[in-house]
Amino acid sequence: MSQFFDGLAEILEISPADVTAELDLTQQAWDSLAVVSAIALIDECFGITVDGAALAKCATVQQVQDLVDAKLGK
Amino acid sequence: MGDLAQGYRRVSGARIAGVVAAVPSRKVTNEHFVPAFGESGVAEVTKVVGVLERRWTDEAQTTADLCFLAADRLLSNLGWERNSISALIFISQTPDYRLPATACELQGRLGLSSACAALDINLGCSGYTYGLWLAMTLAGQTPNGRVLLLVGDTISKTVDPSDRATATVFGDAGSATAIEADLVAPPAHFVFGSDGSGSRRLIIPDGCFRVDAALPESFGQRDRQKLFMDGPEIFNFTLRVVPQCVKEVCSQSGRAQTDIELFLFHQANAFMLRHLAKKMKLDATKVPMNIERFGNVSSASIPLLMVTSVADRIRGENIPVLMAGFGVGFSWCAAIIEFSKPRVVELID
Repeated sequence: MSQFFDGLAEILEISPADVTAELDLTQQAWDSLAVVSAIALIDECFGITVDGAALAKCATVQQVQDLVDAKLGK
Repeated sequence: MGDLAQGYRRVSGARIAGVVAAVPSRKVTNEHFVPAFGESGVAEVTKVVGVLERRWTDEAQTTADLCFLAADRLLSNLGWERNSISALIFISQTPDYRLPATACELQGRLGLSSACAALDINLGCSGYTYGLWLAMTLAGQTPNGRVLLLVGDTISKTVDPSDRATATVFGDAGSATAIEADLVAPPAHFVFGSDGSGSRRLIIPDGCFRVDAALPESFGQRDRQKLFMDGPEIFNFTLRVVPQCVKEVCSQSGRAQTDIELFLFHQANAFMLRHLAKKMKLDATKVPMNIERFGNVSSASIPLLMVTSVADRIRGENIPVLMAGFGVGFSWCAAIIEFSKPRVVELID
């Protein structure tokens, strides 16, 4: 998980310590460029692709995690 | 969507004799976009997409003009008689007119024989590799067959200047490739496919004959006469398709991925290309890029790579090269072609 959180921190250009499940993405630069980067990150960390529109709508890191878990069938 | 089926074709009896690409002289650097998107807005897109400068046509210059310049130079430098060309294929999504076919007008401008077949094909990112498949097939079927493949786009004319995702990314370019019959040429291998479920993810909805096409939610309130690109969905498409078709064309040609000397990918986005190369475990030195100098030039990206980043290698060595075009349609085509020292490899700058 730390690889995923570290990757998100790099995409959002914030400190890894600030990336928590509760992090409010609506207060971050969560735009189409960030979404494209996150698709690559999720592919790298979990070997899956997730729907771009659904990812763009995620308001927290937890919701991104839920999207990944749903795709992984967890 | 499940696994995407891949079509395979093997083409014998034809080779690439030469290639010339032409870019407009007008250079547009990232400074141009600062008033519209701000310093940080431009920096963000540069970090991901990787474009530092691109060439744009002025209002009067079209794709056909760029392809004409490239073709005229190519025919002269090859020493090919104009009446020896049996077919001209023009592939573009930015033709001169809705009708007639731009290829017909180019036949006249280039002074080709009236016995020359001339046709347009509407494809973008995958257009060059599709064009090679058609041109090599046609040339290989005719003794002394010579086919002129003209491929290019001027996407800068289609973007909304206030849409950062497209305005900053695209450049303009045209190209001409000469294909000739050659009975002893090594076979070329092509793997291609289409997925129409993605047709409205990269689209200019209005301006032809369908009215009120339903568009995805991500289209929002954009101008229907301008280019729309759903970046995340296109990225997902490339992740699904590109590694699979690269693997397939290698396997069909009987080559290991490590036997390939150069991977010439459509220059869509630097971040995406780096990710794809890593995912496919390719040696990064075999995956040249020129998107930083020219932007995404749509169908012309692979021939433009051939005459810039890898021109010396293509001129000087007999090497197996893998090319892959993928995008608008969705459409894709990967090819493995063994170059045998084309006589002309030039950029008109």
